[in-house]
Amino acid sequence: MGQASGLVQKSMVIIDSEVCKGCSLCVVTCPQKNLKLSESLNRIGYHPVEFHYHGDKGDCTACGLCYWVCPDFAIAEVRRLKQ
Amino acid sequence: MTTLQDKATGEYEVKLGRLPTLTGKPTHYCAGCEHGVLTRLIANAIEELGLREKTVMIDSVGCSVMAHEYINVDAIQSPHGRAPAVMTGIKKVRPDLLVFAVQGDGDAVAIGLLELIYAASRGAPITVFLVNNAIYGMTGGQMAPTTPRGMVTTTTPRGRDLKDTGPVMDASKLLAGLEGPSYVKRVFLPVTPMGSTDLYSARGSLEGAKSVLNAFKVQLMGGFSFVEFVSTCSVNWKMSVLESKRYSFEVLAKLFPPGLYVDKMGVEKK
Amino acid sequence: MKTETEFVKGNEALALGALKAGMNAYFAYPITPSSEIPETLAKEFRSPEYPEFKIFLQAMNELEAINMVIGAASTGAKAMTATSGPGFSLKQEGISYAAAMEIPFLVVDVNRAGPGLGNLGPEQSDYFQATKGGGHGGYKTIVLAPNSVQEMAAFPALGFSLAFKHRTPVLMLVDAFLGQVKEDIVFPKIAQEKFETPWAATGARGAERHLILSLHLDFEDQRKHAEHLKSKYEEIDTMEQRSEEYLTSDAEVVLVAFGVVSRLCRRAVNELRAKGVRAGLFRPVTLSPFPARGLKSLADRGIRKFIVVELNVGQMVYDVKLAVEGKGSVDLIYKLGGFLPTTADIVHRVEMASG
Repeated sequence: MGQASGLVQKSMVIIDSEVCKGCSLCVVTCPQKNLKLSESLNRIGYHPVEFHYHGDKGDCTACGLCYWVCPDFAIAEVRRLKQ
Repeated sequence: MTTLQDKATGEYEVKLGRLPTLTGKPTHYCAGCEHGVLTRLIANAIEELGLREKTVMIDSVGCSVMAHEYINVDAIQSPHGRAPAVMTGIKKVRPDLLVFAVQGDGDAVAIGLLELIYAASRGAPITVFLVNNAIYGMTGGQMAPTTPRGMVTTTTPRGRDLKDTGPVMDASKLLAGLEGPSYVKRVFLPVTPMGSTDLYSARGSLEGAKSVLNAFKVQLMGGFSFVEFVSTCSVNWKMSVLESKRYSFEVLAKLFPPGLYVDKMGVEKK
Repeated sequence: MKTETEFVKGNEALALGALKAGMNAYFAYPITPSSEIPETLAKEFRSPEYPEFKIFLQAMNELEAINMVIGAASTGAKAMTATSGPGFSLKQEGISYAAAMEIPFLVVDVNRAGPGLGNLGPEQSDYFQATKGGGHGGYKTIVLAPNSVQEMAAFPALGFSLAFKHRTPVLMLVDAFLGQVKEDIVFPKIAQEKFETPWAATGARGAERHLILSLHLDFEDQRKHAEHLKSKYEEIDTMEQRSEEYLTSDAEVVLVAFGVVSRLCRRAVNELRAKGVRAGLFRPVTLSPFPARGLKSLADRGIRKFIVVELNVGQMVYDVKLAVEGKGSVDLIYKLGGFLPTTADIVHRVEMASG
């Protein structure tokens, strides 16, 4: 998740990988496509979701939709830069 | 165990975060199940109202039998279908408490239909959340009163035939026809497919969050509130998680149309 | 060429056994660990192999199911339902009514741990409820306790036979283990019995009408009816006590157990014998009527130690004490929580009691 120097990430999504069941509801709901299932497996045998600030369709806006659709509280926090 | 995704510069505030009304215990619900989503919505509403120490939840029998493991409030186990009666008993002696139950379509619409109808008719100041996924989940996929015509279940292996098994029951419409309830709402909770794109809408969760809050507000104003969440059961429907959302949208949302059926206190206008 | 033996789960064997016995109607409500019974029947419904199986209906709860059974059976049909603990409690009202009205049918209780919601492991804690009449009023039913998948397949036919012969509900008390275990069995070739039902309510065409009632407001009517039920239960007690014995003829200590526990005890008896302890096993097959005569004759013969092994805090132990009439000691080995005792457990406890 490297950034070009001088650019600041405006938001971030904190994920509890070990409770994620890879249901992918957040993946399909995110309008910017910031979320993808990981290649690796977590302890409970699922591919947990990973956050990418620069998504396929744009940067994360902290809309929080992922938080509201997650059935497992794996999307633990949505943070944004203080103004 | 959290994985901090980035070490960014700047100061961040938590817009949406961990709730003290959740125990934090990982759930037993299947991947993608709306029970998990509803748990978050309920925890959020209790937190917003600041009522964690004034709430008693009732575990019903079904997939929600272990709901107390996840929502951080006092809890009582009710026998199968009897949650509305148990809640009535609590509210009669402790009207200051907030009580609610999450019931499945078997618990509320089959074995417990009588208790639900009478609690609703009396206008008991309690809240029932119905997770309607048109099948008996916890017991392994038998027919429910809400199972649609033609659906294959373990007790309708050739598809449900309404001639043999009776009609599909519509709990929201049934309750809306009674004088007692103050708030009857049906919400389509799953992520909703949006045409041909691979983007799904989260409006179910957002509408659900508002409805849970409104239901509690109605109880606090002394009325009976009921919210039916049209949901999914990918495991017993034998579909993938996303297939089950599409099926629910194409079949169940038409069979059980979402909407506001009763709002005697006008809580949605406020 | 189809082989004779089939590898079947207990609950499935019971369902298929009921079909082979010519069951006409099944009223269902799922509850773990009994749900395979209605699920198997749903699959076989309308199969040309079972032309007698005319009705399969899933009720909305166990109360609905037992009352549908009462209705169907009142016309003389062979009807059945199955459930587990919490559902069995709901059916008690119906069973009481049916016993009073002398209506024959089968109810299966797959006993899971309790009380309350409990868990899904095997227990034998519904013994009192099943054998002492779990519903109100003074009545009895016949209670069969299979201990193998083979008996699960055979007992429905026996159950219907006893039910119609004596005009009484018949219960099958099955522990959860037996419902779920799979064993090789041969389905018994059962000739489907046709039962005469001169009492049935089918429309009083040209004949005197039949009333199937349980309300007797006149005290003398009620007394006569209760006396009639009493003599019926005495007749059942005389005719229908069933049990099985293993190595009791020269035994010093006799284990008493039913269901899956009886099989663990049988192994324990073999191990005890190998260690020089003259152990035997008495297995009740009917829990009601309780096979007291068989136990009493063991006590009369000089056996002085009886050890009851059951999955509850002590229920059948009282019936054994009564049967033995104080002639020998009756001790208890018990296991709770849905666990089964191991053979080693049982052997050890018997050795401690004998030593």
